[in-house]
Amino acid sequence: MKPIVFALLVIALDPASSRAQSRTVPRTADGKPDLSGIWQVMNTAAWDIQDHQAQKGVPAGQGVVEGNELPYTPAALEKKKVNFASRAAADPETKCFLPGVPRITYMPFPFQIVQTPAQVTILYEYAHAVRNIFMSTPHIEGQLYWWMGDSRGRWDGDTLVVDVTDFNDETWFDRAGNFHSDALHVVERYTLADQDHITYEATIEDPKVFTRPWKMNMILNRHREKNFRLLEYECFSF
Amino acid sequence: MRRALFRSIVFAAGVLTVAVIWSPPVAGQASKNRPVIAGCPSVSAKFHPCALEKAKTFSPPRMPDGTPNLQGIWDAPLAMGFQNVEDFPGDPSPGGFGPAVTVIVDPTDGKVPYFPWARAQRDENIKKYIDPYAQCLPTGVPRQMANFRTRQITQSGSMISIVNEAGGHIYRVVYMDGRPHLSAAFKLWMGDSLGRWDGTTLVIETTNLNGRWWYDSMGHFASDALKVTERLTLVDADTLHYQATMEDPKVYTRPWTIVFPLERIKEKGYEQMEEACHEGDHDAAGFVLGGYQPYVGPRFPQ
Repeated sequence: MKPIVFALLVIALDPASSRAQSRTVPRTADGKPDLSGIWQVMNTAAWDIQDHQAQKGVPAGQGVVEGNELPYTPAALEKKKVNFASRAAADPETKCFLPGVPRITYMPFPFQIVQTPAQVTILYEYAHAVRNIFMSTPHIEGQLYWWMGDSRGRWDGDTLVVDVTDFNDETWFDRAGNFHSDALHVVERYTLADQDHITYEATIEDPKVFTRPWKMNMILNRHREKNFRLLEYECFSF
Repeated sequence: MRRALFRSIVFAAGVLTVAVIWSPPVAGQASKNRPVIAGCPSVSAKFHPCALEKAKTFSPPRMPDGTPNLQGIWDAPLAMGFQNVEDFPGDPSPGGFGPAVTVIVDPTDGKVPYFPWARAQRDENIKKYIDPYAQCLPTGVPRQMANFRTRQITQSGSMISIVNEAGGHIYRVVYMDGRPHLSAAFKLWMGDSLGRWDGTTLVIETTNLNGRWWYDSMGHFASDALKVTERLTLVDADTLHYQATMEDPKVYTRPWTIVFPLERIKEKGYEQMEEACHEGDHDAAGFVLGGYQPYVGPRFPQ
């Protein structure tokens, strides 16, 4: 084996090598990681973002919250308990309302990322939800109250960082009653781990409900099935 | 930004308000306001041949892969949500729609070529049923392209996305990779769209539609056997000739074709916003109280 070929092999096989990573991750013409494709989580966070046992109709799951505990204020924790008790009817998602961010990411439905340099658009199978992530313009001035928030993106090295503000207070994080106020601020980080996996991190900040910021982590898996495409879940049409 | 915010607040008031209280500047009225588009008469019957003739000598901008670049945000100033795909004399009652000129170019009488039972059902639709769009249900195809406000076309690899601002978050993904259509098991509001290039024209064939939406506010309808073939051709840098041919042997005696222009939004920094519809729409219940019923699709003769 010629030394140069051997050296390339070593780089390609060494997972710690950033050069190897840059070779294995697909990239767009402008050199950014190419997140285009259809993705879906394999977790149970839509039912409960925290550790939870199985119940009838709810699969058990290890939580997606770093440290598992949510830093609710005492009043907010009481509200969460009330939400949990009445969740079957009180979860806004049961009314087919847009599920907010980051919940839309871990709904049990696929979504498609459409990436251009100026805009990353995410099309969700659930309720035809759409997020337009604008890459070169600031948040809209003044407070809006949007179900999916106002998303502005930037690249931090090979990570797509999305800053989401301007939420209403009408969505929950899960079916278990975890909730937020209209002061919610979400920072998402999308990093291609390899061709078929995105590590997804969401930092949640909401001083009206939580005593400190906290994080969720999960993996987004690429759908590689032949001719896979988004179908429809037009929730309130059934 | 201020203007964009205003738009979102206005439309948060709900589709029903738009449909009933505000009489939109639809086909007929708009063609008086905009008699000429891209150097062609704006009325569909005249725009159609004129724009296609102009397109022959226009060399469209190209994507890096050489395909025509149709990307951008597009308005449908003459279709404006399809108040009525046929001629309409106007309704003088309060909140009634203004007059409309047909967008149908074939057949030349400007009428949907219904079987007699289907024409009767159309008449019944407007008397008995709620326009599904007014209930925040998806527009289907081709109404997506005529809908109020804008739609954004993005070309990325082997797919093209068409994302609307209005209508309660709707979009279509058009796959360009030669895959086959979905099986007949799937009946979708927005259908299954597959595309290809015919010269500089984007051709989209859509099947697997569910037949639960209307083309317009006037009860014009299709069944789940509908196939829509759309043709999008750049006439100049900022104008698309949009054509859609509908085939549905269960409802129509022959195929029929509509044409209207799409115009590029050139405003710098224009961004499509969130429009929640179902989430804030408490009007549909009022419709039901008013004696109208939700539309569930055509009822075929026994």
